[in-house]
Amino acid sequence: MSQIAFWGAVELGLVYAFVAVGVFLAFRVLDFPDLTVDGSFPLGAAVTAVLIIAGVNPWLAAAVAMVAGAAAGMVTALLNVRFRILNLLASILTMIALFSVNLRVMGKPNVALINADTMLSPFYGSGLRDFYVRPLFVGILVLVAVVIVWRFLESDAGLAMRATGANARMARAQGVDTSRQIYLGMAISNALVAFGGALFAQTNGFADVTSGVGTIVVGLAAVIIGETLFGARGILIALAGCVLGSILYRIAIQLALSTDMLGLQASDLNFVTAALVTVALVLPRLRRRGAA
Amino acid sequence: MISVKNIKVVFGKGTPLQKQALNGVSLTIEQGSFVTVIGSNGAGKSTLLGVLAGDVLPSEGEVTIGHTDVTRKGTAARAGLVARVFQDPLTGSCGTLSIEENLALAARRGESRGLTPALGAKRREHFRERIAELNLGLENRLGDRMDLLSGGQRQAVSLVMATLAGSEVLLLDEHTAALDPGMAEFVMNLTQKIVTERKLTTMMVTHSMRQALDYGHRTIMLHGGEIVLDVAGDSRKTLQVEDLIAMFRRIRGQTLDDDALLIG
Repeated sequence: MSQIAFWGAVELGLVYAFVAVGVFLAFRVLDFPDLTVDGSFPLGAAVTAVLIIAGVNPWLAAAVAMVAGAAAGMVTALLNVRFRILNLLASILTMIALFSVNLRVMGKPNVALINADTMLSPFYGSGLRDFYVRPLFVGILVLVAVVIVWRFLESDAGLAMRATGANARMARAQGVDTSRQIYLGMAISNALVAFGGALFAQTNGFADVTSGVGTIVVGLAAVIIGETLFGARGILIALAGCVLGSILYRIAIQLALSTDMLGLQASDLNFVTAALVTVALVLPRLRRRGAA
Repeated sequence: MISVKNIKVVFGKGTPLQKQALNGVSLTIEQGSFVTVIGSNGAGKSTLLGVLAGDVLPSEGEVTIGHTDVTRKGTAARAGLVARVFQDPLTGSCGTLSIEENLALAARRGESRGLTPALGAKRREHFRERIAELNLGLENRLGDRMDLLSGGQRQAVSLVMATLAGSEVLLLDEHTAALDPGMAEFVMNLTQKIVTERKLTTMMVTHSMRQALDYGHRTIMLHGGEIVLDVAGDSRKTLQVEDLIAMFRRIRGQTLDDDALLIG
Protein backbone atom coordinates (compact mmCIF):
# COMPACT_ATOMS: atom_id res chain seq x y z
CA MET A 1 0.00 0.00 0.00
CA SER A 2 1.42 3.34 -1.04
CA GLN A 3 1.75 6.25 1.36
CA ILE A 4 -0.95 8.15 -0.46
CA ALA A 5 -3.30 5.19 -0.25
CA PHE A 6 -2.52 4.79 3.47
CA TRP A 7 -3.19 8.44 4.36
CA GLY A 8 -6.24 8.35 2.13
CA ALA A 9 -7.56 5.45 4.20
CA VAL A 10 -6.82 7.32 7.45
CA GLU A 11 -8.62 10.39 6.11
CA LEU A 12 -11.68 8.40 5.09
CA GLY A 13 -11.61 6.64 8.46
CA LEU A 14 -11.61 10.00 10.23
CA VAL A 15 -14.47 11.30 8.08
CA TYR A 16 -16.46 8.19 8.96
CA ALA A 17 -15.50 8.58 12.61
CA PHE A 18 -18.36 11.10 12.75
CA VAL A 19 -20.65 8.36 11.49
CA ALA A 20 -19.22 5.94 14.07
CA VAL A 21 -19.81 8.36 16.94
CA GLY A 22 -23.33 9.03 15.66
CA VAL A 23 -24.04 5.31 15.40
CA PHE A 24 -22.59 4.82 18.89
CA LEU A 25 -25.03 7.41 20.27
CA ALA A 26 -28.02 5.76 18.62
CA PHE A 27 -27.17 2.06 19.00
CA ARG A 28 -25.25 2.00 22.26
CA VAL A 29 -26.35 5.03 24.27
CA LEU A 30 -30.02 5.16 23.28
CA ASP A 31 -30.33 1.48 22.28
CA PHE A 32 -32.09 2.68 19.12
CA PRO A 33 -31.17 0.68 15.98
CA ASP A 34 -31.16 3.59 13.57
CA LEU A 35 -30.75 3.14 9.83
CA THR A 36 -31.57 6.79 9.12
CA VAL A 37 -27.83 7.36 8.74
CA ASP A 38 -27.88 5.76 5.27
CA GLY A 39 -29.95 8.78 4.27
CA SER A 40 -28.58 11.49 6.55
CA PHE A 41 -24.96 10.94 5.43
CA PRO A 42 -25.66 11.75 1.75
CA LEU A 43 -28.12 14.41 2.95
CA GLY A 44 -25.25 16.19 4.67
CA ALA A 45 -23.11 15.82 1.55
CA ALA A 46 -25.92 17.06 -0.74
CA VAL A 47 -26.82 20.08 1.37
CA THR A 48 -23.22 21.19 1.80
CA ALA A 49 -22.39 20.70 -1.90
CA VAL A 50 -25.41 22.61 -3.16
CA LEU A 51 -24.82 25.47 -0.73
CA ILE A 52 -21.12 25.74 -1.56
CA ILE A 53 -21.93 25.92 -5.26
CA ALA A 54 -24.46 28.65 -4.44
CA GLY A 55 -21.57 30.60 -2.93
CA VAL A 56 -22.27 29.97 0.75
CA ASN A 57 -19.33 29.82 3.16
CA PRO A 58 -18.29 26.13 3.43
CA TRP A 59 -18.33 26.20 7.27
CA LEU A 60 -21.83 27.58 7.21
CA ALA A 61 -22.76 24.98 4.58
CA ALA A 62 -21.54 22.23 6.91
CA ALA A 63 -23.51 23.76 9.80
CA VAL A 64 -26.68 23.77 7.71
CA ALA A 65 -25.96 20.14 6.78
CA MET A 66 -25.90 19.33 10.50
CA VAL A 67 -29.28 21.00 11.00
CA ALA A 68 -30.67 18.99 8.07
CA GLY A 69 -29.29 15.78 9.60
CA ALA A 70 -30.77 16.66 12.98
CA ALA A 71 -34.14 17.20 11.32
CA ALA A 72 -33.91 13.79 9.65
CA GLY A 73 -33.18 12.20 13.03
CA MET A 74 -36.15 13.99 14.58
CA VAL A 75 -38.43 12.59 11.88
CA THR A 76 -37.35 9.06 12.78
CA ALA A 77 -37.86 9.87 16.47
CA LEU A 78 -41.30 11.29 15.69
CA LEU A 79 -42.35 8.15 13.81
CA ASN A 80 -41.18 6.02 16.73
CA VAL A 81 -42.25 8.08 19.75
CA ARG A 82 -45.41 9.73 18.50
CA PHE A 83 -46.76 7.16 16.07
CA ARG A 84 -45.41 4.09 17.88
CA ILE A 85 -43.73 2.65 14.79
CA LEU A 86 -41.04 0.09 15.63
CA ASN A 87 -37.71 1.94 15.92
CA LEU A 88 -35.93 -0.02 13.17
CA LEU A 89 -38.85 0.34 10.76
CA ALA A 90 -39.25 4.05 11.56
CA SER A 91 -35.63 4.63 10.62
CA ILE A 92 -35.97 2.61 7.40
CA LEU A 93 -38.95 4.76 6.38
CA THR A 94 -36.96 7.96 6.91
CA MET A 95 -33.96 6.48 5.10
CA ILE A 96 -36.04 5.58 2.03
CA ALA A 97 -37.74 8.99 2.02
CA LEU A 98 -34.36 10.73 2.28
CA PHE A 99 -33.22 9.14 -0.97
CA SER A 100 -35.87 11.21 -2.78
CA VAL A 101 -35.16 14.25 -0.63
CA ASN A 102 -31.47 14.08 -1.51
CA LEU A 103 -32.27 13.93 -5.22
CA ARG A 104 -34.52 16.96 -4.79
CA VAL A 105 -31.84 18.85 -2.88
CA MET A 106 -29.26 18.29 -5.60
CA GLY A 107 -31.64 18.25 -8.55
CA LYS A 108 -29.52 15.46 -10.03
CA PRO A 109 -27.83 12.27 -8.79
CA ASN A 110 -24.48 13.94 -8.12
CA VAL A 111 -22.88 17.33 -7.73
CA ALA A 112 -19.17 18.04 -8.30
CA LEU A 113 -17.24 20.60 -6.24
CA ILE A 114 -14.36 21.13 -8.64
CA ASN A 115 -12.49 24.36 -7.90
CA ALA A 116 -15.05 25.37 -5.30
CA ASP A 117 -13.89 26.76 -1.97
CA THR A 118 -14.13 24.23 0.85
CA MET A 119 -13.29 24.24 4.54
CA LEU A 120 -9.89 22.87 3.54
CA SER A 121 -9.00 25.40 0.84
CA PRO A 122 -7.11 27.81 3.18
CA PHE A 123 -4.86 24.94 4.34
CA TYR A 124 -3.84 23.61 0.93
CA GLY A 125 -0.48 24.83 -0.30
CA SER A 126 0.65 25.67 3.23
CA GLY A 127 3.82 23.66 2.70
CA LEU A 128 2.31 20.38 3.89
CA ARG A 129 1.31 18.01 1.12
CA ASP A 130 -2.40 17.67 0.46
CA PHE A 131 -2.66 14.03 1.48
CA TYR A 132 -1.36 15.02 4.93
CA VAL A 133 -3.44 18.19 5.20
CA ARG A 134 -6.75 16.41 4.80
CA PRO A 135 -6.43 13.76 7.55
CA LEU A 136 -4.84 16.34 9.86
CA PHE A 137 -7.69 18.78 9.34
CA VAL A 138 -10.42 16.15 9.70
CA GLY A 139 -8.56 14.64 12.67
CA ILE A 140 -8.69 17.93 14.56
CA LEU A 141 -12.43 18.22 13.92
CA VAL A 142 -12.91 14.64 15.11
CA LEU A 143 -11.00 15.45 18.29
CA VAL A 144 -13.21 18.47 18.96
CA ALA A 145 -16.37 16.43 18.32
CA VAL A 146 -15.22 13.57 20.57
CA VAL A 147 -14.42 15.93 23.44
CA ILE A 148 -17.82 17.66 23.13
CA VAL A 149 -19.75 14.37 22.97
CA TRP A 150 -17.70 12.98 25.87
CA ARG A 151 -18.34 16.00 28.10
CA PHE A 152 -22.00 15.90 27.16
CA LEU A 153 -22.43 12.20 27.99
CA GLU A 154 -20.79 12.72 31.38
CA SER A 155 -23.00 15.70 32.24
CA ASP A 156 -26.38 15.58 34.00
CA ALA A 157 -28.14 15.92 30.65
CA GLY A 158 -26.05 13.16 29.07
CA LEU A 159 -26.65 10.87 32.01
CA ALA A 160 -30.38 11.29 31.44
CA MET A 161 -29.88 10.18 27.83
CA ARG A 162 -27.79 7.17 28.85
CA ALA A 163 -30.38 6.16 31.43
CA THR A 164 -33.08 6.38 28.76
CA GLY A 165 -31.24 3.77 26.70
CA ALA A 166 -30.20 1.61 29.66
CA ASN A 167 -33.45 1.53 31.65
CA ALA A 168 -36.27 3.74 30.41
CA ARG A 169 -38.60 2.88 33.28
CA MET A 170 -36.03 3.90 35.85
CA ALA A 171 -35.24 7.06 33.86
CA ARG A 172 -38.89 8.12 33.92
CA ALA A 173 -39.10 7.44 37.66
CA GLN A 174 -36.17 9.86 38.02
CA GLY A 175 -38.07 12.51 36.12
CA VAL A 176 -36.42 12.03 32.75
CA ASP A 177 -38.76 12.66 29.83
CA THR A 178 -37.62 9.65 27.80
CA SER A 179 -39.48 10.72 24.64
CA ARG A 180 -37.62 14.02 24.62
CA GLN A 181 -34.34 12.17 25.11
CA ILE A 182 -35.03 10.06 22.03
CA TYR A 183 -35.75 13.19 19.96
CA LEU A 184 -32.60 14.87 21.24
CA GLY A 185 -30.38 11.80 20.86
CA MET A 186 -31.55 11.04 17.34
CA ALA A 187 -31.03 14.69 16.38
CA ILE A 188 -27.47 14.77 17.73
CA SER A 189 -26.63 11.39 16.22
CA ASN A 190 -27.83 12.28 12.74
CA ALA A 191 -26.36 15.78 12.90
CA LEU A 192 -22.95 14.16 13.47
CA VAL A 193 -23.53 11.74 10.61
CA ALA A 194 -24.62 14.58 8.31
CA PHE A 195 -21.51 16.53 9.28
CA GLY A 196 -19.51 13.45 8.27
CA GLY A 197 -21.34 13.58 4.93
CA ALA A 198 -20.53 17.30 4.58
CA LEU A 199 -16.85 16.57 5.24
CA PHE A 200 -16.95 13.70 2.79
CA ALA A 201 -18.25 16.01 0.06
CA GLN A 202 -15.67 18.68 0.87
CA THR A 203 -12.67 16.34 1.06
CA ASN A 204 -13.63 14.27 -1.97
CA GLY A 205 -15.00 17.10 -4.11
CA PHE A 206 -18.43 15.63 -4.84
CA ALA A 207 -21.77 14.61 -3.39
CA ASP A 208 -23.51 11.50 -4.72
CA VAL A 209 -26.96 10.27 -3.86
CA THR A 210 -25.75 6.66 -3.68
CA SER A 211 -22.86 7.40 -1.33
CA GLY A 212 -25.08 6.61 1.66
CA VAL A 213 -25.56 2.93 0.86
CA GLY A 214 -24.13 0.85 3.67
CA THR A 215 -23.22 3.83 5.88
CA ILE A 216 -24.83 2.10 8.84
CA VAL A 217 -22.74 -1.04 8.36
CA VAL A 218 -19.54 1.00 8.13
CA GLY A 219 -20.49 2.92 11.27
CA LEU A 220 -21.38 -0.26 13.13
CA ALA A 221 -18.18 -1.91 11.95
CA ALA A 222 -16.19 0.94 13.49
CA VAL A 223 -18.12 0.79 16.77
CA ILE A 224 -17.74 -2.98 17.02
CA ILE A 225 -14.06 -3.01 16.10
CA GLY A 226 -13.50 -0.34 18.76
CA GLU A 227 -15.38 -2.37 21.36
CA THR A 228 -13.53 -5.54 20.42
CA LEU A 229 -10.19 -3.78 20.90
CA PHE A 230 -10.95 -1.76 24.04
CA GLY A 231 -13.88 -3.47 25.74
CA ALA A 232 -16.37 -1.49 27.82
CA ARG A 233 -14.34 0.91 29.95
CA GLY A 234 -16.13 4.20 30.09
CA ILE A 235 -17.39 6.78 27.66
CA LEU A 236 -14.12 8.36 26.56
CA ILE A 237 -12.52 4.99 25.79
CA ALA A 238 -15.64 3.94 23.88
CA LEU A 239 -15.54 7.12 21.78
CA ALA A 240 -11.84 6.72 21.12
CA GLY A 241 -12.64 3.14 20.12
CA CYS A 242 -15.17 4.41 17.58
CA VAL A 243 -12.57 6.69 15.98
CA LEU A 244 -9.80 4.12 15.97
CA GLY A 245 -12.21 1.43 14.82
CA SER A 246 -13.22 3.59 11.90
CA ILE A 247 -9.60 4.20 10.86
CA LEU A 248 -8.62 0.55 11.27
CA TYR A 249 -11.63 -0.52 9.27
CA ARG A 250 -10.56 1.67 6.36
CA ILE A 251 -6.97 0.46 6.52
CA ALA A 252 -8.16 -3.16 6.62
CA ILE A 253 -10.37 -2.55 3.57
CA GLN A 254 -7.53 -0.77 1.76
CA LEU A 255 -5.16 -3.65 2.53
CA ALA A 256 -7.66 -6.26 1.40
CA LEU A 257 -8.30 -4.46 -1.86
CA SER A 258 -4.67 -3.63 -2.60
CA THR A 259 -3.36 -7.13 -2.00
CA ASP A 260 -3.24 -8.73 -5.43
CA MET A 261 -2.96 -12.15 -3.87
CA LEU A 262 -6.60 -12.09 -2.72
CA GLY A 263 -7.74 -11.11 -6.20
CA LEU A 264 -10.32 -8.67 -4.84
CA GLN A 265 -11.62 -5.70 -6.78
CA ALA A 266 -13.31 -2.46 -5.68
CA SER A 267 -16.77 -3.88 -6.30
CA ASP A 268 -16.12 -6.53 -3.63
CA LEU A 269 -16.08 -3.79 -0.97
CA ASN A 270 -19.53 -4.51 0.45
CA PHE A 271 -18.78 -8.21 0.78
CA VAL A 272 -15.48 -7.52 2.53
CA THR A 273 -17.28 -5.09 4.87
CA ALA A 274 -19.93 -7.66 5.76
CA ALA A 275 -17.24 -10.30 6.33
CA LEU A 276 -15.22 -7.92 8.51
CA VAL A 277 -18.19 -6.97 10.68
CA THR A 278 -19.11 -10.62 11.05
CA VAL A 279 -15.58 -11.47 12.19
CA ALA A 280 -15.61 -8.54 14.65
CA LEU A 281 -18.92 -9.77 16.03
CA VAL A 282 -17.94 -13.43 16.30
CA LEU A 283 -14.40 -12.96 17.59
CA PRO A 284 -15.26 -11.78 21.13
CA ARG A 285 -17.69 -14.66 21.51
CA LEU A 286 -15.11 -17.22 20.40
CA ARG A 287 -12.57 -15.68 22.77
CA ARG A 288 -15.04 -15.91 25.65
CA ARG A 289 -15.76 -19.55 24.84
CA GLY A 290 -12.05 -20.24 24.71
CA ALA A 291 -11.61 -18.69 28.16
CA ALA A 292 -14.49 -20.63 29.66
CA MET B 1 -49.52 14.29 52.16
CA ILE B 2 -51.28 11.99 49.72
CA SER B 3 -54.92 12.19 48.85
CA VAL B 4 -56.74 9.99 46.38
CA LYS B 5 -60.45 10.45 45.81
CA ASN B 6 -62.76 7.87 44.28
CA ILE B 7 -60.11 6.37 41.99
CA LYS B 8 -61.29 3.98 39.31
CA VAL B 9 -58.97 2.05 37.03
CA VAL B 10 -60.13 -0.33 34.32
CA PHE B 11 -57.71 -2.45 32.33
CA GLY B 12 -58.59 -3.70 28.84
CA LYS B 13 -61.81 -1.69 28.68
CA GLY B 14 -64.29 -3.06 26.16
CA THR B 15 -62.44 -6.36 25.72
CA PRO B 16 -63.46 -9.78 27.09
CA LEU B 17 -60.54 -9.44 29.56
CA GLN B 18 -61.85 -6.19 31.05
CA LYS B 19 -60.81 -5.89 34.68
CA GLN B 20 -61.80 -3.32 37.26
CA ALA B 21 -58.42 -3.01 39.01
CA LEU B 22 -59.46 -0.20 41.36
CA ASN B 23 -63.11 0.42 42.13
CA GLY B 24 -63.58 3.79 43.77
CA VAL B 25 -60.68 3.90 46.19
CA SER B 26 -60.43 6.94 48.46
CA LEU B 27 -57.55 7.40 50.85
CA THR B 28 -55.76 10.19 52.69
CA ILE B 29 -52.28 9.72 54.10
CA GLU B 30 -51.08 12.47 56.41
CA GLN B 31 -47.67 14.10 56.20
CA GLY B 32 -45.00 11.86 57.75
CA SER B 33 -47.26 8.83 58.05
CA PHE B 34 -45.99 5.34 57.12
CA VAL B 35 -48.73 3.17 55.61
CA THR B 36 -48.40 -0.49 54.72
CA VAL B 37 -50.62 -2.06 52.07
CA ILE B 38 -51.49 -5.74 51.83
CA GLY B 39 -53.79 -7.80 49.68
CA SER B 40 -53.82 -10.96 47.61
CA ASN B 41 -52.64 -11.11 44.01
CA GLY B 42 -54.83 -8.97 41.80
CA ALA B 43 -56.26 -7.08 44.77
CA GLY B 44 -55.12 -3.78 43.27
CA LYS B 45 -52.14 -2.88 45.47
CA SER B 46 -49.68 -2.54 42.59
CA THR B 47 -52.27 -0.56 40.63
CA LEU B 48 -52.76 1.81 43.58
CA LEU B 49 -49.00 2.31 43.74
CA GLY B 50 -48.93 2.83 39.97
CA VAL B 51 -51.66 5.48 40.28
CA LEU B 52 -49.54 7.36 42.81
CA ALA B 53 -46.34 6.95 40.78
CA GLY B 54 -47.97 7.99 37.51
CA ASP B 55 -47.51 4.69 35.65
CA VAL B 56 -51.28 4.20 35.68
CA LEU B 57 -53.60 7.10 34.94
CA PRO B 58 -57.05 6.55 36.48
CA SER B 59 -60.20 6.74 34.38
CA GLU B 60 -61.99 8.52 37.22
CA GLY B 61 -61.03 10.27 40.42
CA GLU B 62 -58.43 12.69 41.72
CA VAL B 63 -54.87 12.24 42.94
CA THR B 64 -53.12 14.89 45.01
CA ILE B 65 -49.55 14.62 46.24
CA GLY B 66 -48.37 17.36 48.55
CA HIS B 67 -50.50 20.23 47.35
CA THR B 68 -50.26 19.36 43.67
CA ASP B 69 -53.03 17.78 41.64
CA VAL B 70 -51.15 15.09 39.70
CA THR B 71 -54.15 13.15 38.34
CA ARG B 72 -53.17 13.71 34.71
CA LYS B 73 -49.39 13.91 35.16
CA GLY B 74 -47.18 11.11 33.84
CA THR B 75 -44.40 9.43 35.78
CA ALA B 76 -41.63 11.79 34.66
CA ALA B 77 -43.70 14.93 35.23
CA ARG B 78 -44.38 14.09 38.89
CA ALA B 79 -41.02 12.50 39.70
CA GLY B 80 -40.05 15.52 41.79
CA LEU B 81 -42.80 14.59 44.23
CA VAL B 82 -42.39 10.82 44.20
CA ALA B 83 -39.40 8.72 45.25
CA ARG B 84 -39.68 5.04 44.59
CA VAL B 85 -38.05 1.68 45.15
CA PHE B 86 -39.16 -1.13 42.85
CA GLN B 87 -39.72 -4.80 43.60
CA ASP B 88 -37.20 -5.95 41.02
CA PRO B 89 -33.72 -4.67 41.93
CA LEU B 90 -32.95 -4.48 38.20
CA THR B 91 -35.78 -2.01 37.57
CA GLY B 92 -34.78 0.64 40.07
CA SER B 93 -31.31 1.34 38.76
CA CYS B 94 -29.29 1.25 35.53
CA GLY B 95 -27.15 -1.89 35.45
CA THR B 96 -24.83 -0.57 32.77
CA LEU B 97 -24.09 2.68 34.62
CA SER B 98 -21.77 2.92 37.61
CA ILE B 99 -23.04 3.20 41.19
CA GLU B 100 -22.12 6.87 41.38
CA GLU B 101 -23.71 7.59 38.00
CA ASN B 102 -26.93 6.05 39.29
CA LEU B 103 -26.66 8.22 42.38
CA ALA B 104 -26.05 11.31 40.23
CA LEU B 105 -29.16 10.50 38.21
CA ALA B 106 -31.23 10.16 41.36
CA ALA B 107 -29.79 13.31 42.93
CA ARG B 108 -31.38 15.38 40.14
CA ARG B 109 -34.74 13.58 40.26
CA GLY B 110 -37.46 15.92 39.11
CA GLU B 111 -35.04 18.77 38.47
CA SER B 112 -33.73 20.17 35.22
CA ARG B 113 -30.57 18.53 33.95
CA GLY B 114 -27.94 20.76 32.41
CA LEU B 115 -24.41 20.39 31.13
CA THR B 116 -22.77 20.39 34.56
CA PRO B 117 -20.49 17.35 34.93
CA ALA B 118 -22.59 14.69 36.63
CA LEU B 119 -19.75 13.61 38.92
CA GLY B 120 -18.05 16.70 40.30
CA ALA B 121 -15.74 16.33 43.31
CA LYS B 122 -18.33 17.76 45.70
CA ARG B 123 -21.09 15.44 44.58
CA ARG B 124 -18.76 12.43 44.67
CA GLU B 125 -17.90 13.21 48.28
CA HIS B 126 -21.55 13.53 49.19
CA PHE B 127 -22.36 10.19 47.50
CA ARG B 128 -19.47 8.51 49.25
CA GLU B 129 -20.76 9.69 52.64
CA ARG B 130 -24.29 8.55 51.97
CA ILE B 131 -23.21 5.13 50.69
CA ALA B 132 -20.76 4.68 53.56
CA GLU B 133 -23.74 4.90 55.96
CA LEU B 134 -24.92 1.56 54.58
CA ASN B 135 -21.84 -0.20 56.02
CA LEU B 136 -21.70 -2.49 53.02
CA GLY B 137 -18.25 -1.37 51.92
CA LEU B 138 -19.72 0.00 48.70
CA GLU B 139 -18.17 3.45 49.24
CA ASN B 140 -14.94 2.06 47.76
CA ARG B 141 -16.73 0.65 44.73
CA LEU B 142 -18.58 3.73 43.52
CA GLY B 143 -17.06 3.41 40.04
CA ASP B 144 -18.24 -0.20 39.67
CA ARG B 145 -21.10 -0.99 37.37
CA MET B 146 -24.42 -1.39 39.16
CA ASP B 147 -24.97 -4.87 37.72
CA LEU B 148 -21.97 -6.16 39.67
CA LEU B 149 -23.93 -5.74 42.91
CA SER B 150 -26.19 -8.35 44.51
CA GLY B 151 -29.94 -7.80 44.57
CA GLY B 152 -29.84 -6.73 48.21
CA GLN B 153 -26.99 -4.29 47.65
CA ARG B 154 -28.88 -2.82 44.71
CA GLN B 155 -32.01 -2.34 46.82
CA ALA B 156 -29.95 -0.70 49.56
CA VAL B 157 -28.41 1.69 47.04
CA SER B 158 -31.89 2.27 45.56
CA LEU B 159 -33.10 3.37 49.00
CA VAL B 160 -30.25 5.86 49.22
CA MET B 161 -31.07 7.01 45.67
CA ALA B 162 -34.68 7.58 46.72
CA THR B 163 -33.60 10.03 49.40
CA LEU B 164 -30.90 12.02 47.56
CA ALA B 165 -33.46 14.45 46.17
CA GLY B 166 -36.39 15.75 48.17
CA SER B 167 -39.84 14.23 47.69
CA GLU B 168 -43.35 14.40 49.11
CA VAL B 169 -43.79 10.67 49.22
CA LEU B 170 -41.75 7.47 49.22
CA LEU B 171 -43.30 4.48 47.45
CA LEU B 172 -41.98 1.01 48.23
CA ASP B 173 -43.24 -1.73 45.94
CA GLU B 174 -42.59 -5.07 47.68
CA HIS B 175 -39.00 -3.95 47.69
CA THR B 176 -37.75 -6.88 49.78
CA ALA B 177 -39.73 -9.60 47.98
CA ALA B 178 -36.88 -10.60 45.68
CA LEU B 179 -34.27 -10.81 48.46
CA ASP B 180 -33.07 -13.61 50.70
CA PRO B 181 -34.36 -13.40 54.31
CA GLY B 182 -31.15 -11.92 55.73
CA MET B 183 -30.88 -9.21 53.12
CA ALA B 184 -34.62 -8.55 53.32
CA GLU B 185 -34.26 -7.83 57.03
CA PHE B 186 -31.28 -5.57 56.41
CA VAL B 187 -33.18 -3.59 53.78
CA MET B 188 -36.27 -3.35 56.03
CA ASN B 189 -34.20 -2.03 58.94
CA LEU B 190 -32.59 0.46 56.61
CA THR B 191 -36.02 1.47 55.33
CA GLN B 192 -37.25 2.00 58.88
CA LYS B 193 -34.21 4.10 59.73
CA ILE B 194 -34.46 6.29 56.63
CA VAL B 195 -38.22 6.80 56.92
CA THR B 196 -37.98 7.71 60.62
CA GLU B 197 -34.96 9.99 60.29
CA ARG B 198 -36.36 11.87 57.33
CA LYS B 199 -40.00 11.79 58.46
CA LEU B 200 -41.03 10.61 55.01
CA THR B 201 -44.63 10.09 53.99
CA THR B 202 -44.37 6.46 52.95
CA MET B 203 -46.52 3.83 51.34
CA MET B 204 -45.15 0.29 51.36
CA VAL B 205 -46.83 -2.49 49.43
CA THR B 206 -45.93 -5.88 50.82
CA HIS B 207 -46.85 -9.51 50.50
CA SER B 208 -45.96 -10.21 54.09
CA MET B 209 -48.60 -9.63 56.78
CA ARG B 210 -45.83 -9.75 59.36
CA GLN B 211 -44.03 -6.83 57.70
CA ALA B 212 -47.31 -4.98 57.26
CA LEU B 213 -47.98 -5.03 61.00
CA ASP B 214 -44.39 -4.66 62.25
CA TYR B 215 -43.63 -1.50 60.32
CA GLY B 216 -45.42 1.81 59.89
CA HIS B 217 -48.38 3.49 61.58
CA ARG B 218 -51.29 2.22 59.60
CA THR B 219 -52.22 -0.86 57.57
CA ILE B 220 -54.59 -1.07 54.64
CA MET B 221 -55.91 -4.22 53.04
CA LEU B 222 -57.14 -4.21 49.48
CA HIS B 223 -59.42 -6.78 47.92
CA GLY B 224 -61.05 -6.72 44.50
CA GLY B 225 -59.98 -3.15 43.92
CA GLU B 226 -61.46 -1.82 47.18
CA ILE B 227 -60.15 -1.00 50.62
CA VAL B 228 -61.60 -3.66 52.93
CA LEU B 229 -59.56 -2.90 56.03
CA ASP B 230 -57.93 0.23 57.40
CA VAL B 231 -56.39 0.02 60.87
CA ALA B 232 -54.18 2.41 62.80
CA GLY B 233 -53.31 3.39 66.35
CA ASP B 234 -54.08 1.19 69.36
CA SER B 235 -56.31 -1.28 67.55
CA ARG B 236 -53.40 -1.96 65.21
CA LYS B 237 -50.83 -2.39 67.98
CA THR B 238 -52.62 -5.40 69.42
CA LEU B 239 -53.35 -6.88 66.02
CA GLN B 240 -51.78 -10.22 65.15
CA VAL B 241 -51.35 -11.85 61.77
CA GLU B 242 -54.06 -14.36 62.77
CA ASP B 243 -56.47 -11.54 63.65
CA LEU B 244 -55.80 -9.98 60.29
CA ILE B 245 -56.73 -13.19 58.53
CA ALA B 246 -59.88 -13.62 60.65
CA MET B 247 -60.85 -10.02 60.01
CA PHE B 248 -60.30 -10.50 56.35
CA ARG B 249 -62.58 -13.54 56.35
CA ARG B 250 -65.31 -11.75 58.24
CA ILE B 251 -65.30 -8.70 56.02
CA ARG B 252 -65.33 -10.69 52.85
CA GLY B 253 -67.47 -13.54 54.12
CA GLN B 254 -65.43 -16.03 52.23
CA THR B 255 -62.67 -18.52 52.88
CA LEU B 256 -59.13 -17.57 52.33
CA ASP B 257 -57.62 -19.55 49.54
CA ASP B 258 -54.52 -17.55 48.80
CA ASP B 259 -51.44 -19.01 50.43
CA ALA B 260 -49.46 -15.91 49.61
CA LEU B 261 -51.37 -14.00 52.28
CA LEU B 262 -50.35 -16.47 54.97
CA ILE B 263 -46.67 -16.43 54.26
CA GLY B 264 -44.59 -14.47 56.70
